[in-house]
Amino acid sequence: MKYDICIIGGGMSGTKAGVALLSRKKRASVCILSAGRTLNPTSREEFKRLGGDIFDNCRAVSSVMGENRVQAVVTDNDIRVEASAFVLSTGKFFSRGLLSDMDGVYEPVFGADVEFEADRSAWSSEDFFDPQPFESFGVRTEGSRVLKDGNVIENLYACGEILCGVVDVDKSVREVCRNIR
Amino acid sequence: MQEHQISKADFEACMKCNICTEVCPMYEVNPLYQGPKKSGPDAERYRLKDPAFFDSNLKFCLNCKRCETACPSGVKVADIIQMAKLKYSSSTHPLRDTALSSTDLVGSVASVFAPAVNFALEQEVASKAMGLLGVDSHSVFPKYASEKFVTWFRRNARKSQDSFGSQVNYFHGCYVNYNNPQQGKDLVKILNACNVGVKLMKGEKCCGVAMMANGFRDRAAANAASNVEMFSKVDGPILCTSSTCAFTMRQEYPEVLGVDNSKVKDSIMLATKWLFEEVESGRIRLAFRQDFRMKVVYHIPCHLQRLGWQMYSIALMRMIPGLTLAVPEQECCGIAGTFGFKKEYAGYSRKIGSKLFENLRSANPQVVATDCETCRFQIEMGTPFTVMHPLAILAEALDIEITKELNETDN
Repeated sequence: MKYDICIIGGGMSGTKAGVALLSRKKRASVCILSAGRTLNPTSREEFKRLGGDIFDNCRAVSSVMGENRVQAVVTDNDIRVEASAFVLSTGKFFSRGLLSDMDGVYEPVFGADVEFEADRSAWSSEDFFDPQPFESFGVRTEGSRVLKDGNVIENLYACGEILCGVVDVDKSVREVCRNIR
Repeated sequence: MQEHQISKADFEACMKCNICTEVCPMYEVNPLYQGPKKSGPDAERYRLKDPAFFDSNLKFCLNCKRCETACPSGVKVADIIQMAKLKYSSSTHPLRDTALSSTDLVGSVASVFAPAVNFALEQEVASKAMGLLGVDSHSVFPKYASEKFVTWFRRNARKSQDSFGSQVNYFHGCYVNYNNPQQGKDLVKILNACNVGVKLMKGEKCCGVAMMANGFRDRAAANAASNVEMFSKVDGPILCTSSTCAFTMRQEYPEVLGVDNSKVKDSIMLATKWLFEEVESGRIRLAFRQDFRMKVVYHIPCHLQRLGWQMYSIALMRMIPGLTLAVPEQECCGIAGTFGFKKEYAGYSRKIGSKLFENLRSANPQVVATDCETCRFQIEMGTPFTVMHPLAILAEALDIEITKELNETDN
């Protein structure tokens, strides 16, 4: 399958990015790979109305990389999607946009750089009502483009909860839309 | 930690968010059914302690898999319910369930006497007799074909198949063989025009989905083992036109029946996926009739959505110039294979389908397209529309002569 823009993750930020992109670029072909159920029917419906395609029940699991570029992503059910730009909006731990084990936190699709505390005991605070450090773990970006091994992946943008730090979802979506040409 | 997980179907991963209950079509219409979360991962904990906790209302589960499609944690909710049903429940209508589940046996007998059987099925006496057996009297049974697909293939197509540039295997399934040979003929017509030969496999058995749904685990597992063995002997892709057959053989064989299909799983795919990928890569070129016009609404079957391959059917139909396509939000049609034909469930089945019927009526298409044969029965029973497989539409829209020329020149 070939598209101009492929959004990975059909949650709040993914569908919002889809709507924003299609409103700006009316001729672009945009698709969303969505694992599980989208909780925001309004932006989902709007995205479809604007001509976007949603691949329901398709979880991106790996990527085909070229020279600092993403060529394609492959889903768990063997669909290969090629695009000129990709948006990563797979969220944090609950949606499995980030995976963790005892040693670290990982981004599974691209192996992007993830910011997290090296000291395992500092991931969480014992008091439930404290701010929890793991909530601010996430993917590193530069100008909304994702970093991998310290280098910018030229055509991979990220928005929403998968970003590190304190995330303003709408702002990150706007930035991605501004940066994708 | 995932490595140390020992339960089947990932049921520990359930975090009780209840999104599966939210999308369950049966839960919406039937207060007796507790919904997928309670029937699946929740109750499994109790059942593991004591089988007496098995709740017979699990019989209401359609196995539509919408719960699994929705689950963010990858819990195979419907698999847990299926396995519990197969393990603990027994049939209330053994004769009817045996007959309904034996799609291949009944089909091969019925197709011999096809005109008589089709006539009899239309008579009031027959519907009353079936009522006594436990079959819903409002059900309209699919007609049986007098010439089976395999017979037609042997007589008219088999010899020429080796003359094409490449070959694929075709798993036709019971529906194509006994009820709708045209669907198989359409596939042969399309592929032959694309310079691709079709081969049938020796000893093909029913995929077993109806047996599983009716509680015959061992019979289903025997068919599964036999089919997997057969697949391991052939080369090249194994194409299905039925989304449910493909889904069952890829996913249910290992997960519900415990039949290992890992060596052949990647070759089992839908004909729509295979064809689209060939066209996209430029290996096959299609030409369509200029005068073809059709207004189509596409209904995504639940099992196709669980496979996640609905976009291939959509993309193929979009290639046809004269076709206007609408794809409404996916709804369950409610029939769930043989479920909707049973007297005690038919009411629920129609109630679930009513939302889909309404969507279709308001779209008012010329043709409803869907990949699943039982969705087709349900839509034909519930609406006045003609239902076609996406490949049947493609076969009608295709300009055979030009397509043949386009694909010949390449070789």
